[in-house]
Amino acid sequence: MPKFTRKQILAGAAPLIAAAPLARLNLPGHSHSHPSATHEGHNHPTLGHAAMIREHVPAPGGPHDLDKLLYPPEALPYKRGRVREYELFAVDKTIEVAPGVHFNAWTYNGTVPGPVIRATEDDLLRVNFVNGGSHPHTIHFHGIHPSNMDGVFEVVPPGSSFTYEFPARPAGMHLYHCHATPLKKHIHKGLYGAFIIDPKEPRPPAQELVMVMNGYDTDGDGGNNFYTVNGRSFYYARYPIEVKRSQTVRIYLANLTEFDLINSLHLHGDFFRYQPTGTGDYWEYTDTVMQVQGQRGVIEIDFANPGEFMFHAHQSEFAELGWMGFFDVKDE
Amino acid sequence: MLGRSWRLWAFVPLVLLTAVVALFTAAGGSVTGLLGETAPPLDEFDIRRVEFHPSEIRIRVTNPQPDDLTIASVTVDDAIMPFDVEGDSTLGRLRSSEIVVQYDWVPEEPITVGVTSSTGIETTEEIAAAVQTPQASARSFFGYALIGTLVGIVPIALGLLWLPSLRRAAPQWLAAFMALTAGLLTFLAVEALSEALELQAALPSALGGAGLVLLGVALSFLFLTAISTRMGESSGGAGVSGLALATLVAIGIGLHNLGEGLAIGSSFALGELALGTFFIVGFMIHNVTEGLGIASPLAEGRGVSWQRLAVLALVAGAPAILGAWLGGFITSDLLGVVFFAAAAGAAFEVVVEVGRYVARRAPGGLGSPHVLGGFLAGVGVMYVTGLLVA
Repeated sequence: MPKFTRKQILAGAAPLIAAAPLARLNLPGHSHSHPSATHEGHNHPTLGHAAMIREHVPAPGGPHDLDKLLYPPEALPYKRGRVREYELFAVDKTIEVAPGVHFNAWTYNGTVPGPVIRATEDDLLRVNFVNGGSHPHTIHFHGIHPSNMDGVFEVVPPGSSFTYEFPARPAGMHLYHCHATPLKKHIHKGLYGAFIIDPKEPRPPAQELVMVMNGYDTDGDGGNNFYTVNGRSFYYARYPIEVKRSQTVRIYLANLTEFDLINSLHLHGDFFRYQPTGTGDYWEYTDTVMQVQGQRGVIEIDFANPGEFMFHAHQSEFAELGWMGFFDVKDE
Repeated sequence: MLGRSWRLWAFVPLVLLTAVVALFTAAGGSVTGLLGETAPPLDEFDIRRVEFHPSEIRIRVTNPQPDDLTIASVTVDDAIMPFDVEGDSTLGRLRSSEIVVQYDWVPEEPITVGVTSSTGIETTEEIAAAVQTPQASARSFFGYALIGTLVGIVPIALGLLWLPSLRRAAPQWLAAFMALTAGLLTFLAVEALSEALELQAALPSALGGAGLVLLGVALSFLFLTAISTRMGESSGGAGVSGLALATLVAIGIGLHNLGEGLAIGSSFALGELALGTFFIVGFMIHNVTEGLGIASPLAEGRGVSWQRLAVLALVAGAPAILGAWLGGFITSDLLGVVFFAAAAGAAFEVVVEVGRYVARRAPGGLGSPHVLGGFLAGVGVMYVTGLLVA
């Protein structure tokens, strides 16, 4: 065995001796014991609610694109047996739900939601439905009608037609949607709309609006990617709804959102009266109201102050994915 | 009969191929149409890198598919955010753009970013803990250099200090230490190869994944073969030994440290690595054996000056600094694949050279117990010390 001199031992042990002090070296980025100063006094833009209005908002289309869905036709006075006739045409259409994002929808008359159907109590509602889509469809109305007009058993194949005819009952706020199977798909692809039945005694005059809450699952994973009212995400944040402070604002609100258990509406800066399903004497006085899919109601707001008031779902996630808008209340 | 025109005949297959390709692209739709409808493209983005700056998130996206892909909507934690795109919003095949989102992210908390295509397909990336991305500043430059020095140069320099002891050792022990070097390099080669193969799986398949690894391995293997053949010729055809062999070992280890530095730098920059003292010390212990590996071929023959030793330490250790800079500031998985593939090829080649040396000089040849034991010791020590940094 070779003999080791002192020099050799030192030379061999040098690595180990040198390593010792390094073990106590404290390196940058290693410990997070100090509270990190994140902003260092930077001027960062606030990204709260307030920044997202008008031009700052990503929403597709121009200012009056959705007027036909927002402003319902006029209520007609009571006349038993009068015929109210509508033409509904199912058509596959690719729609822009957010800027640059396209969704392959199934629509009534080319829009999601479909057109507002309105009748007065005891009118004879006649809806001529033609299926121009690629799948069989129906129209199922919420209301009181015979079972062969229910849109469940008489499925209309592509190219065929069916006329739904029944007296409009009961008075209130309702809705319609496709009831072909698979049910979830036929609803979430866009076949739904608002259905208003005016009472015998007309409601007091008001600025009337229709809002249908919905969502879009654009990547097919069973969850909504975008949430909207009347079909386009952030639309009324970009183009606030102008109303006058001098007259009641009446909103016919319906929830047709698929995949999520509930949706809601919250109004900033004011309270409203809410009549569930638009029927009966019970009115809630609140600023936040919740609806499951298929629920609907009538909201009446008497704005106390002018200005821009946000309204949105109080599920914050829905609000940040497009279900958010503004009222521009003018002092007139 | 063909005479001088045989060269022209070589072009015939190429010309005919061009003609067939042109014909198909003109009429191709009708051919595939016979089979039925083709599926639409997946429209998934490749989110390459997410950087966190004060009040800002930067997302680098690539289009991995042949069809065009358009960036339409960006979400952070399931909230749609206004964004800017540096580059085109519509990405062609393998093109990239950078998405900039003004956002007050919360440090050290998980965050999810999502990029939605024009067809509504959302690709998400979850970051386990948001950490501010180091900026290229003098301070971070120095920081990465310091890490590279501690992890690369220092342990190797320390390992080289075993040289005086080695020079006193008996021939069979020398052979054992040479075999240890071979074992060490084999370990590094296999480690680098597996790292390269793992990284290539994350690349878009259009970059040729495993083939790219093989290309890198082959290139560096053959390059080092050429170098060592030249070195062997200049020493009179006796094969590589002494300083020449030590240099080859240093090159092999240097390339490996380049990849290691890259991995450390990019892991730290992306907030994936808690760069604790334990980690650095672990790496130092792991790499000390590499210094021993470089010293082993120098134990026989002429003495070597301190300056030469210092150069060897730099050749083997300094690439860790370069790797840390590249990894910290650029972070490219592609670079990682290339570096690790090159490291694997180089290390394998040097194992061959060391093997030849041992076969020539070891008493008892390649099969002697000292050699076998030494090889196993090399692999074993690297494995055990490697656990410190696993």
